[in-house]
Amino acid sequence: MTAILTHTQAEKALIGALDGATGWRAHLREATQRDGLPTRRNEFWKWSDLRRAANDVSGVGRLDVTGLDGLTNVKDGDRIELAVAASAGASAADAALVVPAGASVTLVETLKGAAGSLGNWHMTIRLEAGARLDRVVITDHDADAVFVGSAEIELAETATLNQTMVDTGARLSRNETHVTHPGQGASITMGGAYVLAAGRHADTTNLVHHTGPGGVTQQLVKGAVASGGHGVFQGKFIVDRAAQQTDARMTHRALMLGERAEIDAKPELEIYADDVQCAHGNALGTLDETALFYMRQRGLPKARARALLIESYLAEPLDRVQDEALRERLKASLRARLGALI
Amino acid sequence: MLKINNLHNKVETQDGEEKAILKGLSLEVPAGEVHAIMGPNGSGKSTLSYVLTGRDGYEVTDGEMAFLGEELGELAPEERAALGLYLSFQYPVEIPGVPTITFLKEALNAQRATRGEEEVSAPEFMKLIREKAKQLNVSMDMLKRPVNVGFSGGEKKRMEILQALVLEPKFLILDETDSGLDIDALKIVSDGVNALRSPERGMLVITHYQRLLDHITPDVVHVMADGRIVKSGGPELAHELEAEGYDKFIGEAA
Repeated sequence: MTAILTHTQAEKALIGALDGATGWRAHLREATQRDGLPTRRNEFWKWSDLRRAANDVSGVGRLDVTGLDGLTNVKDGDRIELAVAASAGASAADAALVVPAGASVTLVETLKGAAGSLGNWHMTIRLEAGARLDRVVITDHDADAVFVGSAEIELAETATLNQTMVDTGARLSRNETHVTHPGQGASITMGGAYVLAAGRHADTTNLVHHTGPGGVTQQLVKGAVASGGHGVFQGKFIVDRAAQQTDARMTHRALMLGERAEIDAKPELEIYADDVQCAHGNALGTLDETALFYMRQRGLPKARARALLIESYLAEPLDRVQDEALRERLKASLRARLGALI
Repeated sequence: MLKINNLHNKVETQDGEEKAILKGLSLEVPAGEVHAIMGPNGSGKSTLSYVLTGRDGYEVTDGEMAFLGEELGELAPEERAALGLYLSFQYPVEIPGVPTITFLKEALNAQRATRGEEEVSAPEFMKLIREKAKQLNVSMDMLKRPVNVGFSGGEKKRMEILQALVLEPKFLILDETDSGLDIDALKIVSDGVNALRSPERGMLVITHYQRLLDHITPDVVHVMADGRIVKSGGPELAHELEAEGYDKFIGEAA
């Protein structure tokens, strides 16, 4: 029996927005036409029901991207800043980046969804041999935005990817990264931090596919979620039979700041090689009450003590950003959000 | 300076039952004096330190405790700290990611802000902490490390006293400060504590053994058993306890 799909107004709007689209946008149009927006019945979206979150979205919106010029004639030392802004309504855009052999490039994407938006943003990235990409994604969404950012990244041998995301959530914010890792001197560091106030949802979903021998992958994601916030972490490492001697480590740790905080995590390893070092760790906890008392006994007000503890907890993945000014910018954006939820 | 009268408290045990710990404790420490509290394990010594400093779960059920004329019961831990109460922890807490020097500067300025005093500037603070660190043989490298992370037991206790030297509280509670110290560290820590003795400052030294009191000579020694002070006397009482044990006093408490 084939179920007949009735499109929601958001789905109709997205299909309409993608009329005549090509490439990735055409795929998105076909998928939406065929299956609708993903719901929790889709295993890959089980904690982020996009169809439901986008329920109130209607009409065609705009996804404005500034800084696209930076993606052409890329050379060593470039720093590319893309500002991606979704207006109310459904919209989608994509872009591509090739980091030439041996070049070292920084890419900063700022994602901003307005109230009533359903924004879809996709990057296709290729790192040639010996290239290095420092990719930073910062979200700054309205509490009533729905936004899905995704990237398909392919590394050549001896390429290096260092990716850091800071997500402060939205009605639904999802950042999805798929990486093809050839091993052979290539290495990946990926991580990030999320801070979620009540009513905000952030989903970090990553897939790293190790296809060749000797690859190194380090992933560290940390979060802090207030009562009424919802954090999702889905991490998956696939290690092919050919990817012997892969060294891949995935860690997700999060703080529940209130009794009604919700955090779902699914770390997965799918290993077909027999000589690898792979590990995953996942830990949820609450703020250390003894440390809080200790700090207050020394005179710090409760709110300041809590903020300092959370900030220091989240700092670790951000400390992997090498550019100091950029690192401070990320920390400042988290600090600003922290102030509001303590 | 510190006046405690008929103090009672209860704590919740791990199986959710309420248990009385302090059962009518009375004690007075005038400014300029050092009082020691000795007692067997489980007599309520550490509980007293937490009740005085306002830890969650250590609320007073009956009695009074006043510091400099102000009733402490309703005050938050940070307000008590700003009044000048300082607890040197038996087990100093590790705070990963927060450098000791940053923490101390924040603490000092937070206390000053609560008291309506001006902030200490960064250069002034650096001068202050250099001077105090030297006194306790603490290197600047140690101060840059996160609070208590990776420190030995002795180093942690030294850092507790260093923090007291910087914050200059009016009253110190030392909870088992001698535990985990070797002889050399005990001497450094005691010298630090003795440097803090002054006619304006009071101290309560909680200890299980008399050893610490050879270095920090108390004016008064109290024996605590079953949540109350059962005997008070001069420094010689500590020696008596060391020689004869706590048994005869525990009998008196019953």
